[in-house]
Amino acid sequence: MSLHAQDDPALREAQEDRLRAVWKPPEGLFLRWTDTNNNRVGVWYVLTAFGFMLFAGVLALIMRAQLAAPGNDLVNASTFNQLFTLHGSMMMFLFAVPMFEAVSIILLPQLLGARDLPFPRLSAFGYWSFLIGGVFVAGSIFFDAAPDGGWFMYPPFTTRTDLSGLGADIWMLGLSFIEVSSVAAAVELIVGVLKCRPPGMRLNLMPLYAWYILVVAVMILFAFPPLIAGDLLFEMERLLGWPFFDAAKGGDPILWQHLFWIFGHPEVYIVFLPSIALFAMLIPTFAQRPLVGYPWIVLAAVGTAFLSFGLWVHHMFATGLPKISLAFFSAASEAVAIPTAVQIFAFIATLWAGRVVWSTPLLYAVGSVAIFVIGGLTGVMVAIAPFDWQAHDTYFIVAHLHYVLIGGTLLPLFGGLYYYWPLITGKKLSDRIGRTAFWVLFAGANLTFFPMHLSGLMGMPRRVFTYPAELGIGNLNLASTVGSYLFAFGVLLVCVDLALSPRRAKSPRNPWNAGTLEWLAHPDDEDWGIRSVPLIESRYPIWEQKDFVQKVDEGRFFLPDAEEGRRETIVTSVIDARPVQVLRLGAPSAVPMMTAIALGSVFILTTYHLYTLALVGAAATLALVLYWLWTGTAEIPEKEEKPIGHGMVMPLYISGGSATGWWAMFITMLADATAFSGLVFGYYFFWTVRPEFPPTGPGFDGPGVLWPMVALALTAASWGATVAARETHARGGVGTARILLAFGVVASLAAIPAGLAGPWLSGMAPKLHVYPAIVWTLAIWTVAHSGVGAIAQGYALARSIAGRMTPRYDADVRNVTVFMHFMLFTAVVTYLTIGLFPEAS
Amino acid sequence: MKRGLGHRVRELRVTLWTLIVPPSVWAAHFLFCYLWVAVSCAKTGGFERFPIAFVIGTLGALAIIAASGAIAWAQAKTPGDPPPHDEGTDIDRTRFLAKSTLLLAALSFVGVLFTAAPALMLTDCR
Amino acid sequence: MGGSGRQSLFAPFGVEARYQLSLTGWLVLAAAIILVGVLALSITGIRRKGKPIGHQSGIRMIWWLGAVFPTVTLFALLVVTLPAMRPIVAGVDALKIAVTGEQFWWRVGYAGPQGGVVTANELRVPVGRTVDLRLEAGDVLHSFWVPGLAGKMDMIPGRTNRLVVRATKAGVYRGQCAEFCGLSHALMAFDVVAMEPAAFDAWLAREAAGAAAPVDAAGAAAFARHGCGGCHAVRGTDAAGMIGPDLTHIGARRSLGAGMQPMTIPNLARFVRDAPSVKPGARMPAYPQMTPEEAQAIARYLKGLA
Repeated sequence: MSLHAQDDPALREAQEDRLRAVWKPPEGLFLRWTDTNNNRVGVWYVLTAFGFMLFAGVLALIMRAQLAAPGNDLVNASTFNQLFTLHGSMMMFLFAVPMFEAVSIILLPQLLGARDLPFPRLSAFGYWSFLIGGVFVAGSIFFDAAPDGGWFMYPPFTTRTDLSGLGADIWMLGLSFIEVSSVAAAVELIVGVLKCRPPGMRLNLMPLYAWYILVVAVMILFAFPPLIAGDLLFEMERLLGWPFFDAAKGGDPILWQHLFWIFGHPEVYIVFLPSIALFAMLIPTFAQRPLVGYPWIVLAAVGTAFLSFGLWVHHMFATGLPKISLAFFSAASEAVAIPTAVQIFAFIATLWAGRVVWSTPLLYAVGSVAIFVIGGLTGVMVAIAPFDWQAHDTYFIVAHLHYVLIGGTLLPLFGGLYYYWPLITGKKLSDRIGRTAFWVLFAGANLTFFPMHLSGLMGMPRRVFTYPAELGIGNLNLASTVGSYLFAFGVLLVCVDLALSPRRAKSPRNPWNAGTLEWLAHPDDEDWGIRSVPLIESRYPIWEQKDFVQKVDEGRFFLPDAEEGRRETIVTSVIDARPVQVLRLGAPSAVPMMTAIALGSVFILTTYHLYTLALVGAAATLALVLYWLWTGTAEIPEKEEKPIGHGMVMPLYISGGSATGWWAMFITMLADATAFSGLVFGYYFFWTVRPEFPPTGPGFDGPGVLWPMVALALTAASWGATVAARETHARGGVGTARILLAFGVVASLAAIPAGLAGPWLSGMAPKLHVYPAIVWTLAIWTVAHSGVGAIAQGYALARSIAGRMTPRYDADVRNVTVFMHFMLFTAVVTYLTIGLFPEAS
Repeated sequence: MKRGLGHRVRELRVTLWTLIVPPSVWAAHFLFCYLWVAVSCAKTGGFERFPIAFVIGTLGALAIIAASGAIAWAQAKTPGDPPPHDEGTDIDRTRFLAKSTLLLAALSFVGVLFTAAPALMLTDCR
Repeated sequence: MGGSGRQSLFAPFGVEARYQLSLTGWLVLAAAIILVGVLALSITGIRRKGKPIGHQSGIRMIWWLGAVFPTVTLFALLVVTLPAMRPIVAGVDALKIAVTGEQFWWRVGYAGPQGGVVTANELRVPVGRTVDLRLEAGDVLHSFWVPGLAGKMDMIPGRTNRLVVRATKAGVYRGQCAEFCGLSHALMAFDVVAMEPAAFDAWLAREAAGAAAPVDAAGAAAFARHGCGGCHAVRGTDAAGMIGPDLTHIGARRSLGAGMQPMTIPNLARFVRDAPSVKPGARMPAYPQMTPEEAQAIARYLKGLA
């Protein structure tokens, strides 16, 4: 195919027909919901998250009505506790994080000139998981069964089943389910940014939004798993009576606080950085010049990501830890303000260096920076421990965090909505309504939250359903209540503007005259995403590359066709975005949705202690996942390679370190290893806080040395067999590889009883004390990995026998090996810890 | 000789992994300080003002970050066009990654100083 | 705004709170200056007409205002405030008081000869003397917070936290639980009375004595009949329960139900007969079988335990 071939309108039309047919969304009452195209799934995702935001907002309005006057009795304490727990939990887990993922699912392929994300079915799975888990958690309030332990769920109040009912289980299991889907989305987005950029888009040309997505998704990868580990310990205490947080049996409620805030503080930046990313896109557009200080922004994003993991104890300043420990976190909490300041001044410098076009999105951007800066400055104040000892757990903190989240998440999202609405719908929103709404929101936010700084320092703790008149904070609270309803009116105005949108006329293409790739989107958009995948030579290709839009539209770049009737996108190298593969993407399928339903049933049925049914659900989930993998991944293509234009020919199948599937496995296992390290942290944490750990005395025998070492040896043998299988297989030794894999299955399966034998034969009773409980937990976690390892090895073996894996097409065994590396790591840490540490200490 | 060194430094590969060396060193130092104090206070009720491990750990962290920054500094000066380095060339990509690494090294250096400050001013486990 | 200011950082009566109040003032001042600066620069950046600044000038702005200024300011702030994290030194003469958070009240014990004195829901401290508070939790997390005295400190099952304070001004103040602890978290407060040392010693001596003779014998009988002594102690009588607050000198306390109501006979009667209506989730059950007359009698008896 030469360049000039694209001069032929008939050819272009034929290509467009083929693309249209390939990307045609499924139709029909049910089938339309099996779509996996990022445009559609992304929009469902955004709408759902927006709906949860409105719901959680209404909960807040009820709370504000209750607090309007001292001694009010609009709602009782029980309802109020459910309201604030659900408000916080939903805004964080069902709005802020999913909204970022949703927006990214829509925007990222556009920004990267890709047809879709690398794993569209995974996006769909994430969406359905989110919807099921979200409805389950949010719906609980209608049955007066919502969680009521605060969004932080501090034990022992929440782990004692005599004090907290079903709500605590709903929180733990429902939100764990959503955390799984968040990690899935993170995997998708990381691989998307690293591997699905258009040719030529080197790291230094990446849109800043993509940099932020990369950073934030990596943060999710390391922040969510400790919480998942905590959730696991928490439910084991509630459902099985294993005393991880029960001080009377050697446990410690502080462990939960560590695990929660190792998640919880990075979480703040996880929801804040994407908004900064929106600014980084829209400010250059309205300054009509490239952003000043591109590497500075990268510095700020990466620096913030790292520092944000060194702040968690500042939520625990009042727990009585040694002052010097607090001081380390105080220092880091102040240092994190530096990269934040860099980001803000990069924007201000860009405004100074450009000729600013005033607009509604810019109004939102500047207004939210103003609000955010107030929250940031009070953040520096509370980073200073002596001040925090007063402010902590008072309405001062409520004010601080809402300034941060409204200025750093909500208003930027509204700004992004006004900016990107034409991209998604082809229509602009109303400037008049938008600006009115902004000023209402701005006034409402300040009227609600500014007085809270004072009411907090005047003695109002958080999470109180009422307060006495004698504190003298009645008027301040009344102002906050009035402000909150004003704010709600502002949100309503935005909703009205959105609702009027279908009646408005289409706007021109690229209405803001932006320079970045996503504005290639056409008002009458097709489902294929981008007509041809461009060659990128600039950070602002629409501004700086000659005839760029026309060339894309006429299919003069890469992959302008879908000759084989398959959905495809280009995979490129990580640093320099050199094309390496044409990736066949998953087509619409009901499997992701069904898998989400099956997995959801496991979590939901466990909540109601229906363990047998939950096991059935788990078996169904496993079966569906295997079916999904078997039919949808590592498919051997009908030919080796295909041309993508400009004389370039790309393979259709690659395996190992440059393939998307390998990266997805590697990244998923990083998250898995992080969750595991949360459990290991628990073991050594108990060792530091308890003078005698492992305890001595009758009933406290450890697992011994022998069996853990046997289990370790078996796991190592299984690992070795898999690595050897990969190597011999690659050299054509298919038969040997199959024998090795079969041996691996046996070794993995044998490692299960061996791993459990230590604690079992020593008669360790996990309900008795935290020591047997944590040993059992580590052993079970590890043998569960052995079980998954056996399934994975058996899967690779079956693929080989079925002819779906050959020495040339060997992605399966390579990906299984990645799993096995992490499994070996898990086994080494677990068995050395439970087997040898008691001997050493 | 000097030019040779500068040249060799520029030849070193710059990747996403080298980009995160300085902040990873900060993170390791931070974790080290926290664990040192947490374990000492829990197990012995006190800690030495300047144990050799703490002093060496801090100076070592600062040295690695400084070295990483120095390499990045040299690489960022790879000859080529004036800034902003926003062309799609190998040189501009290298200079961008080097510049970002340099900035991260500066932030991480300051970060380690911030972390070490408490150990100079607070002396016991209360 | 009004209010009594009994529970406010703006009415400090302790060494730490005084420092924290002045720290707050300085921080707010600095924050306000920075906020105005950032806003002025943003708005100017948007509104200014003239020639845009060049790329290098932009980088200089990021370097000096975005990086150098915050680094220097924050490091200075860190160095200035770190010493303030050192707690007050509690010498051997410090008064030791143990406070235990319970759902939803405070157990207070003063160290002293013969095992000290146990009381509840009221903390009395001598002005000018260092007080070494040992904070524990009986059931779930609580947090001890007297804004006018010092910052807060959590109470955690299985741990003993220390908070060393020194009151500087006599008066009646208020504290409140600051860590969410259940249904009546909002209803878990206590009075703090800072007294001149002589008055404090006299009060402590009175408190150490056993209960006064019953002013209402019928009330005392009803108290025994309904088994109140199973949970509550009245020193000098058969009532020796440890589950609920010690009632030996309840009549002398300023408030009832952990800072909820004035200590009056009608309030007492209502609480005795139906505690959950005043404190949802409290462990003390309602006594619907108790007649109002009995409740009145018990209330008179309790009020008499001064």
